[in-house]
Amino acid sequence: MATRNRTLLFKKHRDALKSVRASSISSSSSSGGPVIELVSTSLLHPNRSYTPLSTEDPGSSSRDALTIGLPPAWVDVSEEITANMQCARTKMAELFKAHAKALMPSFGDGKEDQQMIEVLTQEITDLLKRSEKRLLKLSASGPSEDSNVRKNVQRFLATDLQNLSVELRKKQSAYLKHLRQQKEGQNGVDLEMNLNDKSKVEDDDFIDMGFNDYQMAKLKKREAFTLEREREIRQVVESVNELAQIMKDLSVLVIDQGTIVDRIDYNIQNVAATVEEGYKQLQKAERTQRKGGMVMCATVLVIMCFIMLVLLILKEIFL
Amino acid sequence: MVLVSAVRDYINRMLQDISGMKVLLLDSYTVSVVSVAYSQSELLQKEVFLVELIGSKSKESMSHLKAVFFLRPTTENIQYLRRQLASPRFAEYHLFFSNILNDTQIHILADSDEQEVVKQVQEFYADFVAIDPYHFTLNVQSNHIYMLPVVMDPSSLQNYCDCVVDGIAAVFLALKRRPVIRYQRTSDVAKRIAQETANLMYQKETGLFDFRRAEISPLLLVVDRRDDPITPLLNQWTYQAMVHELIGIQDNKVDLRSIGKISKDQQEVVLSSEQDVFFKSNMYENFGDLGMNIKRMVDEFQQVAKSNQNIQTIEDMAKFVDNYPEYRKMQGNVSKHVTMVTEMSKIVEERKLMLVSQTEQDLACNGGQVATFEAVTNFLNDESVSDIDCLRLVMLYALRFEKENPLQIMQLFNKLSSRSSKYKPGLVQFLLKQAGVDKRTGDLYGNRDLLNIARNMARGLKGIENVYTQHQPLLFQTMENLTKGRLRDVDYPFVGNHFQQGRPQDVVIFVVGGTTYEEARAVALQNATNSGIRFILGGSVVLNSKRFLKDLEEAQRIVRSSTNAI
Repeated sequence: MATRNRTLLFKKHRDALKSVRASSISSSSSSGGPVIELVSTSLLHPNRSYTPLSTEDPGSSSRDALTIGLPPAWVDVSEEITANMQCARTKMAELFKAHAKALMPSFGDGKEDQQMIEVLTQEITDLLKRSEKRLLKLSASGPSEDSNVRKNVQRFLATDLQNLSVELRKKQSAYLKHLRQQKEGQNGVDLEMNLNDKSKVEDDDFIDMGFNDYQMAKLKKREAFTLEREREIRQVVESVNELAQIMKDLSVLVIDQGTIVDRIDYNIQNVAATVEEGYKQLQKAERTQRKGGMVMCATVLVIMCFIMLVLLILKEIFL
Repeated sequence: MVLVSAVRDYINRMLQDISGMKVLLLDSYTVSVVSVAYSQSELLQKEVFLVELIGSKSKESMSHLKAVFFLRPTTENIQYLRRQLASPRFAEYHLFFSNILNDTQIHILADSDEQEVVKQVQEFYADFVAIDPYHFTLNVQSNHIYMLPVVMDPSSLQNYCDCVVDGIAAVFLALKRRPVIRYQRTSDVAKRIAQETANLMYQKETGLFDFRRAEISPLLLVVDRRDDPITPLLNQWTYQAMVHELIGIQDNKVDLRSIGKISKDQQEVVLSSEQDVFFKSNMYENFGDLGMNIKRMVDEFQQVAKSNQNIQTIEDMAKFVDNYPEYRKMQGNVSKHVTMVTEMSKIVEERKLMLVSQTEQDLACNGGQVATFEAVTNFLNDESVSDIDCLRLVMLYALRFEKENPLQIMQLFNKLSSRSSKYKPGLVQFLLKQAGVDKRTGDLYGNRDLLNIARNMARGLKGIENVYTQHQPLLFQTMENLTKGRLRDVDYPFVGNHFQQGRPQDVVIFVVGGTTYEEARAVALQNATNSGIRFILGGSVVLNSKRFLKDLEEAQRIVRSSTNAI
């Protein structure tokens, strides 16, 4: 693992050459940091290009572009997602602490802990969902390099996001399991279910005698109860579905490790192939476009001929 | 883990100090170096969002990215960088070179960096393709050149030697050691490479190679492929070697497109001992055991698949979602190996390789002359045996009985040339000229001194476990001799006056002309025995019989055209 750093030597050469150059041109910047250098050259250029006798530097435009060049808009999006995820991460740490605290035996009824956990979970899920939505916006079409970069950024963030959500789910299920164990330890069997069953039997006994008010009220209550339950179940199913959807969306983006898609050289070849393909498509498009123009031109000419002919005939007839 | 982890460390160090979004630019060689050791997803974790080959025609300016170049210090690359630096596309330039830069090159770069975008220039010596932990290759272009005599084409031979010397130097720099060097006496090219390496390490760059270590220096042994021409001619029956022989592995990648219709995601697959646990534990197993292991893996997979099928409760669902990525990975892996083995057994069936290989092994190991002659003649008469197999059989026979019975060999030549015109009749003679008994140093067939003959007889009495894998490459003997300190100084002399003191702990064996996976297996098994010496095998390329024959043909063509010209 030996390495050799040649930067010093390189810089020495560079500085030496620069001083040579400076003395030969006579008007040049001092040996400052690279940033200053850039700014000063870009300031110098306009002056130079306005002097009519200037014969040098056709590459000034690229230099100016370099100094001005702002990152494209998607960089902000990716930064936002990163920030979101960072936020989610800290929240998750809090959540785990809250989990641990809630699981500890305490004298209070733990309502506050519960509430806090609920709020935190909600927040984290929201953050993750939002990040995921933003992430889908990152994708770009077209075989250009920029879109490639975007795709890779997207992949990177997707992997991160997936890891995060998997972690969240694992912790949550572990927490629920603990909770259930504690509850079972406390009151053994689920009393409510037993009661329900018993009352059901009673109901069946009375069913052919007609309903009295008490029974009607009871029925109503139970109906409401069932509705409530159904709603809850639906909610759970919905959240599970949502989660599955997120997983599916992400898994399209995430690379399987150890497969050919994960190979660097394969990806490069792929890029080259797609770029070539894109170029071909472009050529084709150009051809068709040109052809379209020609056809248009011909049509116009034909129409003009026709009109002229009509005019000629009219002229022959009327004059 | 030595070689692969060294390359990985280099790449890690390259990327970790540069914050922000990066683009990695590689040349056609360093792509191989990086991709065998590092994966795309790992690169993404280091915030490398674009990997590009230099020389691609893209002009897009990306001033929000920092460029990390990892290139060989060749003249073309330096020129390319010059053009790049004249009109920079990226915000910062971090230049890493895979080998020693000379002062002029630094000068040129410094001269063209007018806008001071270059932030660092470093030498990171990852100039070899580490395909396995103890096996590296240099992927040298036009590998046939080592067979040509010096006078034929001095400049390209010089290029070849420079390439090899650079690669060897990089390996030792990565290991942080300076070796003592030995070479095979009868090979001119091995001698030349050994001497040039010594020159580089002890004179030109002596400061760089001076690691001030008190331990015993490691050993570099440079040998010639032509010392053991039979190993690349044999059919292989262990997994990795077999895949390379029948299908072909390039930088741990197998291209299955040539074989026939295969589903789209399996057209190209990765066979890396680093990423694939099943492959790691089976790469040295023979074909029969491999079949058993694959069956076991498929059974396991079926069980997992079944448990995934009955999902009834929400808990099951959650569990399924949790295990899904793992499941998918397993599925991909299973289908990959099953496809590979199916394809290989198809080829084996088609080419009657079971029969052919038996005779090959007989020729390589036992050598009953009458019986093998008959067998080879029968194969030559058999239409269903492919031409390349016939050619190999005749070559093996000729190598074995070169001196004993020239008449029979002539008979076989005639038969071969009457059978197919594709392989020019001179090829076998050319092989004999190149790698005949007079040229060889090592005791290839174990029949030169009494001790070896006795050992062979003992082995014959003991019986053989598997007919198809009884051949031991010559390298095995060399390693054994090295461990026992019996490698003769006359046959493998030292370069200069740096001699071995005591037994070396690290030995790098470099085979000029290319290694085979059979030898890599021998090295890996030797290292697993913990004899106290760690062997590393390297070569200019990784050979299979097709590649070896192609090199031979190419060299023969050049030799013949030049003699015609004179």
